[in-house]
Amino acid sequence: MDPMGWLAVGLAVVGAFFGLVAAVGLVRLPDVYTRTHAASKSDTLAAVLSLAGAAIAIQSELATIKAVLLLVFIFLTNPTAAHAIARAADDQGIEPWTTDDTEVTDSADDS
Amino acid sequence: MTSNTRTFLVPVANSVTLRDTVSYAIETAGDAAETGEATVHFVVVASGRAIDPDGPDELAADRELLERVEAWAQEDRSEADGIAVETDIVGLDRYLFSPGEYAETLIEYATAHGVDRIVLDPEYDPGGSAPMLRPLQADLARSEIEIEEAPVERQTRRTVLARAETLRKAAVVFGASLLFYLLLGSLSLFDVLTGAVTAGIVAVLLAPVAFSEQPAFGRLARQTLRVALYAPFLLWEIAKANVEVAYVVLHPSLPIDPKMVRLRAAVWGDTPVTTLANSITLTPGTLTVDVAKRSFTIHSLTQSARDDLFDGVLERAVRFVFYGRAAARIASPAERDDGEVIDD
Repeated sequence: MDPMGWLAVGLAVVGAFFGLVAAVGLVRLPDVYTRTHAASKSDTLAAVLSLAGAAIAIQSELATIKAVLLLVFIFLTNPTAAHAIARAADDQGIEPWTTDDTEVTDSADDS
Repeated sequence: MTSNTRTFLVPVANSVTLRDTVSYAIETAGDAAETGEATVHFVVVASGRAIDPDGPDELAADRELLERVEAWAQEDRSEADGIAVETDIVGLDRYLFSPGEYAETLIEYATAHGVDRIVLDPEYDPGGSAPMLRPLQADLARSEIEIEEAPVERQTRRTVLARAETLRKAAVVFGASLLFYLLLGSLSLFDVLTGAVTAGIVAVLLAPVAFSEQPAFGRLARQTLRVALYAPFLLWEIAKANVEVAYVVLHPSLPIDPKMVRLRAAVWGDTPVTTLANSITLTPGTLTVDVAKRSFTIHSLTQSARDDLFDGVLERAVRFVFYGRAAARIASPAERDDGEVIDD
């Protein structure tokens, strides 16, 4: 494989890693807000890296431009979706999980 | 406030019927002045466009408009006496985007100055992009103050089929749509023709709402260039922060410390605020939950994410994109004391 091929594979692998991080975060994190963090951000980077890898692998200028456009749209839509989820949760009055919630509930000593 | 003093409020913005509205307001005030005194306040609502009140004068146009209005008022006033005219610019300290917020600002001013009646210009449209008179009237009507639409002669709308500025907006939208269409397709004759038709339809339908202000090619080009500089920077920030979040998520003891924080960001206007909100959300560890004017409610995952946020690197970068290098030098939120953790 030529160096560009290896670069594409490398990007895809790192992208897959962050996709995995998003999945693990989704399971491990405690509440809707923290899970939205994992689902939106690591996911964005995963998609960006995989797409970049794909753009390199395809090696056609037009396809590369399309991949870049896809990146732009992911950059625009992903945070918007995450914001919509978080805002909806906030509107519903869902209290964010804090480190205090693991111990006996006592919000007075929060700095 | 005695009963024989009448105070009027006229919100002004550039419009074809502004001259007649001023005449009408002065005339009405003249009638009221026969039995006492009358004051007319002409007020421009500056929708948070000014980046820095002491800096390059973005309010010059507003001041000029007010001077013009005052001159007109003087002209009309010479016949009837006992009318005081005042002018003011309001809404400088906040970021207004909805008719409700315009109404709030106007009502606040009205209450502070004991206004009895608000006279509205039927073509009043300070927002520029979307018509706002009807919703504004509805919101104003919730207050105790009397609202009146000036019964002025309205020109038939759209007498001129296309003005230069409309054409320029249409040209920008048309160009962008066509470029996008051809990128997705090819340069074949078929695609160029269908693309031109499609872009034409898009331009006609969307050009009137696509811009909040007049597109100026120079500024558009400079901003595009700065966005091009901003994109790799944002990518780098995202990558850096993602590694950190990956560490936190994969760490056996899950060392998170989530807290809601509030940030009063030093950015103004729809697009910059949206860009900053999205950039904050994209940067792992911080998630924009709500935005009210310039006040961001942000959920942060770790202490270090909060520190980064208050260091204001992103905020500074967004200012650089929209206002140029000089604006990037404003102090960070931590230095301005504009960030805080929300405790419940």
